[in-house]
Amino acid sequence: MIYFDNAATTLPSKSALEKAEKFNNDMFFNPSALYGGGLNCAKEIKVAKESILKNLGTTNHEVIFTSCGSESDNMAIFCAVKRGIFVTDKGEHSAVYKSFLELKNRGLQVEFIDLNSDGSVNEEKLYDFVKNNNVNFVSIAHVGNETAVINDINGIAKKLKSINSQIIFHSDGVQAYGKIPFRLSQYVDLYSISAHKINALKGVGALIKKKNLNVKPLIFGGGQEGGLRSGTENVFGIKVFQFAGEEKYSNLQNNFNLVKEIKDYISKNLDKNIFKILSGDNSSPYILTVSAVGLRGEVIMHAMEEKELIVGNGSACSSKNRFSRVIEACGYANDVLDGVIRISFSTSNNLDEAKIAINILNETASALKKVMK
Amino acid sequence: MENAIIIRYCEIHLKGKNRGYFEKMLKENIKRSLKGINFKFTTMHSRYLIEDFDENDYDLITEKLQKIAGIHTYSRALVVDSNMDAIFEASKVLCEDKSGTFKVATNRADKTFTPSSMETSMILGGKLLETFGGKFKVKVKDPDFIVNVDIREDGKTFVYTDVTHCLSGMPVGSAGKGLLLISGGIDSPVAGYMTCKRGMKLDCLHFHSFPYTSGAAKEKVIELTKKVGEYNGGVNLFVVSFTHIQEAIHEHCPEEFMITIMRRFMMRIAERLAKQQGDQAIITGESLGQVASQTIESITSSNSVVTMPVLRPLIAFDKLDIIDISKKIDTYETSILPYEDCCTVFLPKFPAIKPNLEKVIRAESKLDIEGLIEEAFKNVEKYVL
Repeated sequence: MIYFDNAATTLPSKSALEKAEKFNNDMFFNPSALYGGGLNCAKEIKVAKESILKNLGTTNHEVIFTSCGSESDNMAIFCAVKRGIFVTDKGEHSAVYKSFLELKNRGLQVEFIDLNSDGSVNEEKLYDFVKNNNVNFVSIAHVGNETAVINDINGIAKKLKSINSQIIFHSDGVQAYGKIPFRLSQYVDLYSISAHKINALKGVGALIKKKNLNVKPLIFGGGQEGGLRSGTENVFGIKVFQFAGEEKYSNLQNNFNLVKEIKDYISKNLDKNIFKILSGDNSSPYILTVSAVGLRGEVIMHAMEEKELIVGNGSACSSKNRFSRVIEACGYANDVLDGVIRISFSTSNNLDEAKIAINILNETASALKKVMK
Repeated sequence: MENAIIIRYCEIHLKGKNRGYFEKMLKENIKRSLKGINFKFTTMHSRYLIEDFDENDYDLITEKLQKIAGIHTYSRALVVDSNMDAIFEASKVLCEDKSGTFKVATNRADKTFTPSSMETSMILGGKLLETFGGKFKVKVKDPDFIVNVDIREDGKTFVYTDVTHCLSGMPVGSAGKGLLLISGGIDSPVAGYMTCKRGMKLDCLHFHSFPYTSGAAKEKVIELTKKVGEYNGGVNLFVVSFTHIQEAIHEHCPEEFMITIMRRFMMRIAERLAKQQGDQAIITGESLGQVASQTIESITSSNSVVTMPVLRPLIAFDKLDIIDISKKIDTYETSILPYEDCCTVFLPKFPAIKPNLEKVIRAESKLDIEGLIEEAFKNVEKYVL
């Protein structure tokens, strides 16, 4: 089986699991406990936090562990700013998008900024809006989970603060952390990351927060994570996250080059009579979004699955919510929207797989094209 | 004072000499449905009695009873010795959480019991009024609730207030066996439910077209079939891959006949499977005029390839009425889950609404009908649900 749906989730790293194993055995203690074992666990969580901050190249931030990227996004959006005008763009992951809809439901003013055709936020429109409105909170994803576009969030955050220094800036970095070489600048107040996208486990995420920024908890209770995120910490999951992160960052640029080679190969060799490449030049090498124009994403996905090639589908076949709202916001026509699939890579993929995959992709899609036309 | 559940059937009453056959079948269906629960089962005249069950199982038992075709109503009853004091105590317990108007209705199978039925009702009614003060008022015609006192010949009396209506219909299995064509839609589970409510034991057949339909769509059908199966005392689901047939029709036949010819293949496969399984009829969820494949011309076309009777319980139902039933049997929410089902991918833009049978047969003649059916039968999946 060739697994090209790594933007959905990744295979946990065996070595990271092994290194963390003791936290499922001898070191099973509750980090809040006051005896030695508990204190040691608490210390290990601190080490994991330092590791993440080092990976992000920042000393201005601190780490709050959460249960997932979505929780981190929710906490950023609901707990940093109480009222005012909230701004995001039309290319966000549902964790951000739906949270903004909820803000709107609760009577707050929200604004969704248009996208450019590559899926990046239209910066001109963003700055215009911010200049003309007293905006309190802005959330722009670092890497679009559907388009793969990389937004220059450090640059955007800096520009926004130069317009209005009071703005709190959040970025969903779930598809960027451990993948895109990048230093988190002081202008970014909040940054969400997730463990299972970088070969660690599901059930762990983190919100990276500017040190002096006042954030309220989303979950109340025993006062863990400095009172900001109660609930006994998932020490094992956090340690796997740390170790997997260290594996990624020890080789970040090489990994980047490797997956870029895979992406470029597939991108170049896809049959252009069928496929339209949607990911632009400024996109993460870990995700290639294409459309088999006129076919249906879900059908292609199942046909590939039969040939042991796993890809992600951007658009479901249902008549309701048939199209991806993000790709639609990039301005594509219905026949393009119908055929969207997301092919996403990890460092455990290689060029040989890409060569097999390209044959499957081209052959299957052309066979389907014959049948479904 | 013991708890009991009185189960009543209705239509079986109308049966003559073969009434025993239906009674026995219903009894077996009840016992099978309640398997794993401890209770004592007694057959009485036109009624069944469930006793000696764990109080915590009551909800589970009654939930199951409501899905057994042939049961008309049930009542939770208190069983006491046939004497006025005990009967009054039981009535008092049942009336504690009641309010409004009431009457007492006494039925005396044991004619040696005194006082008479009328007098028993009057005495009990009076005592209840006295006990509960102003909470109740007697109303003989159409009261809010009735305290029923059923004095039996064996020295025991049932006292009950509530009568819960169940499915009615006929015991499953009493009207033979049929094969339901089940899709992922709203109609076919309802058609299945209605048929097994009339006593027909169901098998189910689903056509799957991976990769044009997803694994999730199949899971959805399994989920729906399970829900229908709850009325059927479990069910066998057969899944036949329709992919190659669809592709062949798509390739060789005019687009407007796609659906018509697909339906004809489905019916042929259904009849063959039905014969294998000992089913005596094919059941579909067709409703006249609902979609292009359900016009009388389309039905004529698909019906003409089989000789077995095809039951269409929804033929004269409006969609909204079908939806109401699907909500009642809890299949609606599953039915509307958005997965491609086998009909939609190859949907022609302009299907023939009134297909001409001769033209259909001519179009179809380009296909190796037998060969395609043979092939489909090679990989029949069976799920016991």
